[in-house]
Amino acid sequence: MIRFFRNAFIVLVLLALIGGSIWAQGKIDPSKPIKIVLSAPFTGTGSILGDYIKGGAQLAVDEINSSGGVEGAKFQLIVYDDQANASTAATVVRRALYEDKAVAIFGPNMSAAVIGVHTLAQQAKIPMLVGATSVSFRYDKVKNDYLFRLRADDGVKVAQQVKYIAEVLKAKKPGAIVGSTDYCTSALDVAKQAFEKYGIKFIDIEMMKEGDKDVTAQITKLKNSGIDVLVGLTHEPEAAVVMKQVRQMKLTVPAVGFSAWGVPAFTDLAGDAAIGVISVQGFNPTDPDPAVKKFVDAYKAKWGNEPSDPAQCYYDGIYLLKKAIEMAGSTDSVKIAEALKKVEYTGVQGPMKCDDLHNYTNVCYISQFDGKDWKIISKLQ
Amino acid sequence: MVLNDFLQNIIGGVTVGSTYGLIGLGVVFLWQSINRINFANISSAMLTAYLFYSFYTQLHFNFFFSFITSIAIIAIYGLLLRYLVFEPISRHGGDKLEFVVATLMLCTLWLSVIKVLYGGLPKPFPPVFGESTKFVQIGPISIPSVYFWIFFVVVLLIFALFLFLRKSIIGKMLRATAQNREASLLMGINVNMTTSLAFMLSTTIVGIAGILLAPIYFVSLELGGGSIGVKGFASAVMGGLIDPFGAILGGIAIGLVENFSTLFISSAYKDIISFIILVVVLIWKPRGIFNWTAKGD
Repeated sequence: MIRFFRNAFIVLVLLALIGGSIWAQGKIDPSKPIKIVLSAPFTGTGSILGDYIKGGAQLAVDEINSSGGVEGAKFQLIVYDDQANASTAATVVRRALYEDKAVAIFGPNMSAAVIGVHTLAQQAKIPMLVGATSVSFRYDKVKNDYLFRLRADDGVKVAQQVKYIAEVLKAKKPGAIVGSTDYCTSALDVAKQAFEKYGIKFIDIEMMKEGDKDVTAQITKLKNSGIDVLVGLTHEPEAAVVMKQVRQMKLTVPAVGFSAWGVPAFTDLAGDAAIGVISVQGFNPTDPDPAVKKFVDAYKAKWGNEPSDPAQCYYDGIYLLKKAIEMAGSTDSVKIAEALKKVEYTGVQGPMKCDDLHNYTNVCYISQFDGKDWKIISKLQ
Repeated sequence: MVLNDFLQNIIGGVTVGSTYGLIGLGVVFLWQSINRINFANISSAMLTAYLFYSFYTQLHFNFFFSFITSIAIIAIYGLLLRYLVFEPISRHGGDKLEFVVATLMLCTLWLSVIKVLYGGLPKPFPPVFGESTKFVQIGPISIPSVYFWIFFVVVLLIFALFLFLRKSIIGKMLRATAQNREASLLMGINVNMTTSLAFMLSTTIVGIAGILLAPIYFVSLELGGGSIGVKGFASAVMGGLIDPFGAILGGIAIGLVENFSTLFISSAYKDIISFIILVVVLIWKPRGIFNWTAKGD
């Protein structure tokens, strides 16, 4: 009898220990850091953005940690260079998933890299929050429950760009210069569809490769085709090359670029050639909104320079993650992913909530560069 | 297509192509001197551009001081390349392959060093050759002021090199060493001195090309790798790796092919067409299409 009760007691203790460890798994433990990985481009195409991405994410992490963390647990931000390259991004993501055991991954930021790696996060059931904007991986196309987008996608931005061209500029003969990455070519597809709604077709489309430094031939053909507006769908350094040669070759039509044309990385390189360029932007630091001003001041105080798109979306994304973890009451990645679908947060980009396409916001601006600042013409919330 | 467009594209192609040729010159000098290909050749362009940016934009020295100091440093770098890379490899029995591997690693090292020191963002080159919106109008053709500087410096450099190599004693010694090292030694030529000179000239010329290219390529990591290094190498190959002036012409040919293939076909195929032509040229004229010294090809 005594032996029976002794054995039963041992079994009960063992069951309690096993059950307790299962229950404790994923609970927020203030003594353990919450690991999050940031995959961003610091070299290669897109390297122009890596410092801004890290700046926004690190600022949010430091603010959260210094005000108590996430229910006492501090974020640990691990940063990797994905070189804006799908294969390097895959290595980074695998490392994040299986070595660092991150509860969430921020980035990659380049659409081509996201397309290559988002299924890894899906298989590992780890949420991936990206600033990449291509429509190629909208939720309705990839059905990835673990992939979330932190800023307006190109479908929204390019639609606004086309709307401005057709309704305000009243242009009828657009020409485009387009980069070769998915970011650029998928934007072109969206632009074509958006123009069709106005009964307008591109009369000339010229391609350029990332790294091209001479587009004389492309500008020549655009000029000769008689365009009445130049639609720019390239990355930042290429935008600078294009505008310098547009000014050189006296192509005097309005130039309306999409998001990569509306950042300091473009205007710094283009210099005076950027004056007068109109762009659809995901972020404008001159926005008088108090949340934007607070973020800009904090970023400048910490890093010494103004933030640029997409710094704001990674800043917002870290705070979104914090809220999702608090809602889930756990660092279990499946529970975090579920919480990310429901969490609401008002950040630098305004009210943010996950929609059917797994986008958190559609905020964008139409602005014009005056040689010093981007003057906001309109803001879409 | 009107004549203006044709001329505009010729100007663009010749300008950018002549800078590829300068990079190819760096390859030729070293090949001629030590029979080795320096795969970190293009790093000299990047390093010089960043040095100039540091002196001029960050430390606010004047143009001449910044230029001369940057070039002097890169010339010393050429000397260090000889004594810290080439000589140790040779002493330990290494040959061409080991030098190739070492310089490939060096190229990667410099990209990483620059990234750590300056970050990955391209920096705008200061407008020392004129503002980006400053052009010279010749009839219907508008030429950026920087293109004039590139033309001027390339022509000056070629003329100076011609005089140096053909008319000066040291230049003749350099050419003699390149043609036959052992015979040069027997003739009492200071081969040690000419080898050092070849290394220094190689990095200096590419360094000057870097400063000329930076207004177009920006002060960026791109100056230290990628297609520009390959095009420089291709320019050298078009000159048969022998004739420095062949390398310049090779570079101009590549620049023109790039521009006109974009104009008449598509920019998407620009690099494909350029390198197909290079391969065809190599098959047809393996000693280089602009190698005037080769006979009977």
